[in-house]
Amino acid sequence: MAANYNQILYVLLLPLFGAIFQALFGKALVDALGVKLGRRVSGTLAVLPIALAFLIGVQLTQALAALPPDQRHIQIQFADWISLLSIKIPFEVVVDPLSMTMVLVITGVGALIHLYATGYMAEEPDYPRFFTYLNLFIACMLILVLGGNLALLFIGWEGVGLCSYLLIGFWYKDLANAKAANKAFITNRVGDWGLSLGMFLLVAELGAHAKELGITDGRFLSYDNIIPHAVNLLQGQPAVATAIALLFFVGAMGKSAQFPLYLWLPDAMAGPTPVSALIHAATMVTSGVVLLNRLHILFELSPVASAVVVAIGAFTALFAALIAFGQTDIKKVLAYSTVSQLGYMFIGCGAGVYWAGMFHVTTHAFFKALLFLGSGAVIHAMAHNQDMRNYGKLAKYIPITCVTMMVGWFAICAIPFTFISSGAFSKEAILGGALANNHAMIGDVNVGRFAGYAGLFGGFLTAFYMTRMTWLTFFGNKERWKEIPVAHHEEHHEDHGHHGEAHADHHHGTDVHGFFYTDEEMAVIEAEKPHEHHHALDGSHVPHEVPPSMWLPLAVLAMLAAGGGIYLDSGERFKLWLQPDKLPVIGELSTEPHNLPLPLTMISLIAGGLGILLGLAFYYKGLPDKEGWDLKKWSPFRRAAKEQFGFDNAAMSIAVDGGGDLSRAAWQVVDVHGIDGVVNDAGYLAGALGALLRKLQTGFIRSYALVMLIGGILLLSTLTLYMYGLPGGSR
Amino acid sequence: MNGGSPTGFGLLTLLTFLPTAGALLLMLVPKEYGKFIKYLALGVSIATLAVSFQVLQGFSSSTYHFQMTEYVPWIPALGISYRMGVDGISIWLVMLTTFLSVISIWFSFYIAQREKAYMIFVLLLETAMLGVFTSLDMILFYTFFEASLIPMYFLISIWGGARRGYASIKFFIYTFAGSIFMLIGMISLFTLCRNVTGFPSFYIVDIQQQVANGRLWVGAMQLQPWIFWSFAIAFLVKCPAFPFHTWLPDAHVEAPTAGSVILAGVLLKMGTYGFLRFCLPMFPDIIRSQVPVICLLAVIGIIYGAMVAAVQPDWKKLVAYSSVAHMGFVLIGIFSLNHSGMMGGAMQQLNHGISTGALFLLIGLIYERTHTRQFSDYGGIKSQMPIFSWLFLIVMLSSVGLPGTNGFIGEFLALLGFFQSSYEGVAGLSLGFAIVAGAGVILAAAYLLYMFQQVFYGKNTNPTNLRLKDLKPWEIVMALSLVLFIFWGGVKPNTFLKPMEASIEAARLMATGDPGKRPVWADLDTEIDLREGDHAGSLVRRMHTEVTPGDFYPQRPLAISTLEGTQSAHE
Repeated sequence: MAANYNQILYVLLLPLFGAIFQALFGKALVDALGVKLGRRVSGTLAVLPIALAFLIGVQLTQALAALPPDQRHIQIQFADWISLLSIKIPFEVVVDPLSMTMVLVITGVGALIHLYATGYMAEEPDYPRFFTYLNLFIACMLILVLGGNLALLFIGWEGVGLCSYLLIGFWYKDLANAKAANKAFITNRVGDWGLSLGMFLLVAELGAHAKELGITDGRFLSYDNIIPHAVNLLQGQPAVATAIALLFFVGAMGKSAQFPLYLWLPDAMAGPTPVSALIHAATMVTSGVVLLNRLHILFELSPVASAVVVAIGAFTALFAALIAFGQTDIKKVLAYSTVSQLGYMFIGCGAGVYWAGMFHVTTHAFFKALLFLGSGAVIHAMAHNQDMRNYGKLAKYIPITCVTMMVGWFAICAIPFTFISSGAFSKEAILGGALANNHAMIGDVNVGRFAGYAGLFGGFLTAFYMTRMTWLTFFGNKERWKEIPVAHHEEHHEDHGHHGEAHADHHHGTDVHGFFYTDEEMAVIEAEKPHEHHHALDGSHVPHEVPPSMWLPLAVLAMLAAGGGIYLDSGERFKLWLQPDKLPVIGELSTEPHNLPLPLTMISLIAGGLGILLGLAFYYKGLPDKEGWDLKKWSPFRRAAKEQFGFDNAAMSIAVDGGGDLSRAAWQVVDVHGIDGVVNDAGYLAGALGALLRKLQTGFIRSYALVMLIGGILLLSTLTLYMYGLPGGSR
Repeated sequence: MNGGSPTGFGLLTLLTFLPTAGALLLMLVPKEYGKFIKYLALGVSIATLAVSFQVLQGFSSSTYHFQMTEYVPWIPALGISYRMGVDGISIWLVMLTTFLSVISIWFSFYIAQREKAYMIFVLLLETAMLGVFTSLDMILFYTFFEASLIPMYFLISIWGGARRGYASIKFFIYTFAGSIFMLIGMISLFTLCRNVTGFPSFYIVDIQQQVANGRLWVGAMQLQPWIFWSFAIAFLVKCPAFPFHTWLPDAHVEAPTAGSVILAGVLLKMGTYGFLRFCLPMFPDIIRSQVPVICLLAVIGIIYGAMVAAVQPDWKKLVAYSSVAHMGFVLIGIFSLNHSGMMGGAMQQLNHGISTGALFLLIGLIYERTHTRQFSDYGGIKSQMPIFSWLFLIVMLSSVGLPGTNGFIGEFLALLGFFQSSYEGVAGLSLGFAIVAGAGVILAAAYLLYMFQQVFYGKNTNPTNLRLKDLKPWEIVMALSLVLFIFWGGVKPNTFLKPMEASIEAARLMATGDPGKRPVWADLDTEIDLREGDHAGSLVRRMHTEVTPGDFYPQRPLAISTLEGTQSAHE
């Protein structure tokens, strides 16, 4: 079947046009059709491009799958972008199993989340702006995975970062959200620094051997040049291979929230919940894993870099899981769980089983999107209160949400032998790959193996804290929002309503032209509109199930989360699909370790089962008193976990406060007094010199005559000395 | 010898002096006709823009030689002549100047006092700036270079802010003191050239020709660093590079908006243009040893400028310090002596002109409403002025260097080239430079996002700002015309890169090539020979068909060429 792969362009352009349409006409549409109908039309027009892109993606994927495995890499050049004599970077697209897998995840899960968002954001006054950003995000994410070279990947990479920034700060009137957005963008920029240095190093190396390798077209950043030539290029230069790989990994750490660059992700939960599901769980944060899969040859050539990848992945998986124990905000629990699961994906990549990393990306996209959307439904039902201490026994009020979220909970707990726990399949593959092989080595130490053990322990932790979250929310013995201590009512309702006061003095600037200011205060009307807050959460509150536009995506995702794992795993479907992209560098890796006391699945079953059982034992009856409102009753471990073990505070005070102080010192001391001091002093010196000389201009003839006389004498005596030498001298 | 025969005045003269003619015309208009004066000035600047399009139309990207050259003898005894011409280095700067002049004059419809004098100064300034970029005689260049100070001085000192007296005098004296050394350098070059050729000439091409054939510096090698620095100091002050930057924040803060736009957009580019025109091609024997010094200053500027910018309480001052950082990227690009890097540096010049010009313009638009630049007076403007905040966001992202905007292309290529030179240890650069310079991109995001947050996010609590209206249609059109170039440069950068490439490569070869490999300047037909190959007549690498990208990278043998190669070596 000869498919027209140029259609991939439609996949890229549909969301982009969607975004442009929303930006230019969305507001007009809502205004013209009235709020209710307008929003519905605008929302539909936001969902459609993504759904269409998904359909085209499915078609192309089928065509690609029909090709023999070694031909499943199609690179199409569309136009020139940067063409210099020294380097050429065209607009090009790569269609291969990796990119198409991601296209399906992005557009498929993306379309569901868009649909969900049309319901979730229904009362948002800035409706079109939200969908502008969301469509733009899909477009950027598609550029990231489909771009045929690293520079295009970088467009997508920073583009999704921008959308993330805009969406985290979507409710910008709360300065905390704006700060969270800044933190996300800037932390990601640290990663981008590494990524760009990696690109530069790769170009320098490929360029320096261009003639020998036979690269004549100057596309040094294109995958079809990098991947085939990387082996020849880096085989004899392990240090360079390690440097390049680690620099790219720094980029991946930023985007995929690995320690220590994970700091932005928990704060990113300030964005609307569909954003958390789409960007900060299912798609964007997995781009680091995609990058590693794309450039896996570079990592395979460097066991040291691979070892660093698994070590960071394993540490992050455990660290974030521990932090999740101290969280009371339902979205924060899921955020740390995401960080932790991303750690697993990197364990897979570092261990050399890249396909397993991608497998986990896929299953995680299903169940984590499900969990986030479910949490959104809970939050929606609970008057936008996110604190699990206020929940309890919600199962009876919101049954659909409860059932679907239970599916997600079971999937992330990764219980083998149950067939509906999709996380189990991908996690098995990752841990099996880590335990069975010796790819990630530093010296003689098999770091990958340690990471595998850490991952097993992490599985236990995951099951525990996810059980905690689920039971605190849906079960227990009390409907706790009916008995929130008074002190805690306040802190959730402090937003809005501070306007209207202090408007008495309208001392605006001199309005020379008379048309800068309106007569009425536009902003007050605008600012008073509430956003995610509708009414107070108090004893009289009755949670309601969400509308169909919201539970339909939940149901679909629940089916995917339940069946996705076993479907993709059966007959090694997923592995064989991604495998052809692999060049034989480290060879075929097994995912079935033989050196364990028990089969791996048994150990996983024990770890996951133990986690669930312990979780039930702790939280079956609801919120224990020592995790309640009174932080003083908390155990020291949990208090530390709540504060991310102090890491966030330390990093922020060094970077923000320390950096700020340093900068102020640079400005006030070095710049104003040091450098500019010298400049001004030079000016004053000239002035002072002038003032001094001015004193000589007395205007008295006699003083001028005196000076002349002295000068004449001095001149004559010098001349005399010069001509005749000193009296009595040797001359 | 190389003078050729006088050509008379042509298109470039028309371009350069059209604003002056407009200024003369304005002098005849009574000052009471403020509105008419503004429209007349705008018309003159648009006509100049049209002429510059004519120049662009006739420009050919395939040669590094000066084009549309004009030659009128002036003071033959001293070798001073009236010579004009454009090449790839100057063509876009000419376009930038005419474009930003239109924008500045358009914005200056806000000027409410002494409109006539104001418009005359702006038009005179435009002539001076265009003269700098088109003159090919060093004395002529110097004249325009210094002449540009005078209208700018008056713009700041008459229409400026509270500390305008201090700022304008500082601006004038500082930059003037910097460039006085340049005159000495020019006279030295003139003398050296006369010693070699036997006839007096300040013509840049004559001097480049003697440099290219390696004769100019014979016997005067010890002078080379001195003369280099006499030029470099002038341009470092103009750029401005750390630590010569302290005039800039004061000048920017006090200048009226149009002055800031022109200052950031064009006047700073005179520094980098000077580097490309003089410092790179004329000092081939010592340039490599001076590169680390200038790059060190540039890298310090990138980090330092960004840090200081981050803590400014004044909006314009923040952007002023950010210019120090951004111009640092231009400098590292130019002085990477690497094709990608120099192209990136040259591109970044234009980007900085567009995006920083646009930043000052937008700040000016809101300043006209609120008359304050303190961040503490702002906050929550986004809901109040959504269109303004959209435009500002786009411009800010271009300044951040977000891919898809022009800022990315320049920064990316400049850093790429700089990294490569550092990696290969060219000219004493080491990797540390490139790694630190790369970190400047993080800081850029930090201070620009912080700026955006302070103005646009949060709640609008300032009662004055609660009644602000969004931009007027004409203001939106004005800002959009700049935004257009932000996306154009980001998506189709070849429009801007292609015309520069031949001249930039010629400058690079002048700086790095051995005497036999340097471009030939005297004979305009040489270029055809250049493409023919390695026979005796070829002095420059062929620029078009035969060059492969690999030629721009010093080729190293692979440590182990292939897996099979290793195996066969074992057998």
